[in-house]
Amino acid sequence: MTSVHQLVPTISPRDAVGNHTLALREVIRELGFESEIFSMFRHPDLMSDTHYVDRLPRDADVVIYQFSIGSPVAERWAQHPAIKIMNYHNITPISLVGKWDGLLAAEVQLGRDQMARYAKHCRHAICDSDFNKSELDELGYTSTETIPVMFDVTNATPDSSVLSKLERKRRGTQVLFVGRVAPNKAHHDLVAAVRTLRELHDDEAHLHFVGTDGPPGYRKVVETIVTHAGMRDHVTFHGSVSQEELVAHYLSADVFCCLSDHEGFCVPVIEAMHHGLPVVAFDCTAVGETVGDGGLLLKDKNPLIVASALHRVGSDSRLAQRLRVAGRHRADSFERSITRNRFSQYFSTLVGSL
Amino acid sequence: MSDSESDANYFKEVVAEIEAEAQRRSSSGEYPRALLRSLDEEFRRWIPDASLENGVEDTIRSIEAAAYVDPAVPISSRSSLGRCVKWIVRRLTYFYHRHVTQQITALGIHVTRPLRLLDANLKSVNRRLAALEDRLDVDATARSELLVGLAISSSFHEFVESLGQHFGQVSGRVLIGDLANVELVRGLRSAGVDAYGVASGSAPAQDAVDVRHEHLFDHLGDLENESLDGFILCGIPDYGSVNEQLRALRLLLLRSKPGAAVAVIVLHPETLAKRLSPVATDLLHGRPLHPETWDYLLAREGASNISVVESSESSHCLITAKFL
Repeated sequence: MTSVHQLVPTISPRDAVGNHTLALREVIRELGFESEIFSMFRHPDLMSDTHYVDRLPRDADVVIYQFSIGSPVAERWAQHPAIKIMNYHNITPISLVGKWDGLLAAEVQLGRDQMARYAKHCRHAICDSDFNKSELDELGYTSTETIPVMFDVTNATPDSSVLSKLERKRRGTQVLFVGRVAPNKAHHDLVAAVRTLRELHDDEAHLHFVGTDGPPGYRKVVETIVTHAGMRDHVTFHGSVSQEELVAHYLSADVFCCLSDHEGFCVPVIEAMHHGLPVVAFDCTAVGETVGDGGLLLKDKNPLIVASALHRVGSDSRLAQRLRVAGRHRADSFERSITRNRFSQYFSTLVGSL
Repeated sequence: MSDSESDANYFKEVVAEIEAEAQRRSSSGEYPRALLRSLDEEFRRWIPDASLENGVEDTIRSIEAAAYVDPAVPISSRSSLGRCVKWIVRRLTYFYHRHVTQQITALGIHVTRPLRLLDANLKSVNRRLAALEDRLDVDATARSELLVGLAISSSFHEFVESLGQHFGQVSGRVLIGDLANVELVRGLRSAGVDAYGVASGSAPAQDAVDVRHEHLFDHLGDLENESLDGFILCGIPDYGSVNEQLRALRLLLLRSKPGAAVAVIVLHPETLAKRLSPVATDLLHGRPLHPETWDYLLAREGASNISVVESSESSHCLITAKFL
């Protein structure tokens, strides 16, 4: 039986790359190929379902590497005699993490170096976005294709206690951002924008951050900024939340705002659209193509412009309604069944041609 | 037009309206100036390099945390029998795992010790460097902003004839830098001098003459010794620090052949003082040196035939000499 295995540095059931890797294994198995996942660091919940990296068989026909960070695991993939496919999820540039997290900086630097070196080893590369594809094309990868990452938009029942708490406290425009508290997500720019929104348009506006802490120190700096901007009562860090709580946040907010400086895709934007939340985003890296026609894309994230956009969405019900409808339509195009079919077609053509 | 295209166009129009409105209100002064100023100042103050000081320490701490290896292997399993078997194996092999993991943990501690020492040394170097920077250069940004706003009209055209005569017998390359006025290169080239310019400013759309757009020090760094037949030092003597002016002269002399023709065009210090605002006078650390000082410096380097010419309004001086 033809074997199409996957290699990934870390596998966890609660992150985007981990979920995608597990979903891809199912797609490949349904095509009738043997498929297993091999990883260096495996989450305890996946110990029995995945294999340690050194168990990767030498006679595998195709090995897919899930690439989102530098790792010694990538060398095993590069040196494997099988046909090598890369699934590229992007690597944050070192300029955005270097001063916050030395270890992460070393890993992303290694990742960028490996990415450049593997152009000659890689037969095909699948990228989450055209932005990611353009990075590989520039490095000389000869065969690249864009297929978005597979993910399930959370359809959990909203946590009623969280929902009612959020509703009870709501006064002015409720601005939401979901993502790791990391410098490339530019939480500090969101604080600046919402502060300006409060000063100029809506003195009861509130900013909600949902997401785990990223590099040490960045959260501390954002909190210092919040304090100095006099926003301690108007910004809430909710941390990591359950799927039910997350849906409650999507349903209770008025607008989702993303001012990230670097994203390889941006799943929360699609989730927000799916839940009918109008999206305002800064058009950079892959954010623009993810938002597409489903939201307001700003070319400039000057706090005055972002604040005006947030105010406009919060006060213009016709605009908000059109954003909701367009957003839902856009989110539908990323439905798991659609991307799943694309991956299925891709692998059946690719492996069929071997 | 599809719904999607119609929405996209509508959203683009809305964004254009938002940007135009923000621009209009900003330029008409409707936004409180204090708000704009505080946003700029507060957010910029906190964002850059705020945690750099602790970056290495955080990294070492995370290595130390990762270096602790737990000898208790997970025993979770889908079946209770599997869990039981794993538990028994773990109990039987615990002495072995503990021995190995203790050595790995010890290795981690030994690795992080020198890293901590290195970190302490780096911090000490950083502190000394910061102190040195404070002594040498308090606020380079403020000064560069002042320099941008400082428009000093040049009287170079008055010197073209004198320079043409001075460099008339020079057969090789003559460097002019840091060039503020392209006309100087044009004038000398039309007088038959093989002159080229080096300008640190951005490249203009059309450059008909030979002007390299790079910093003078970078350009001099790439040149071979004794590759120039002459030079005209300008620009830097008007605004550079004494160190920069002396460094430029020293480098130019090093890159010039014996017998090279040299010239320095400098703004008269009194002219600069009259044109500067009190803020610029206080904050600019660069001062044009007096012609007498250039005379002294060139003579000290072994130049001969030193002469000084003043422009008609006495705003600029041209000092020419021959390098032995």
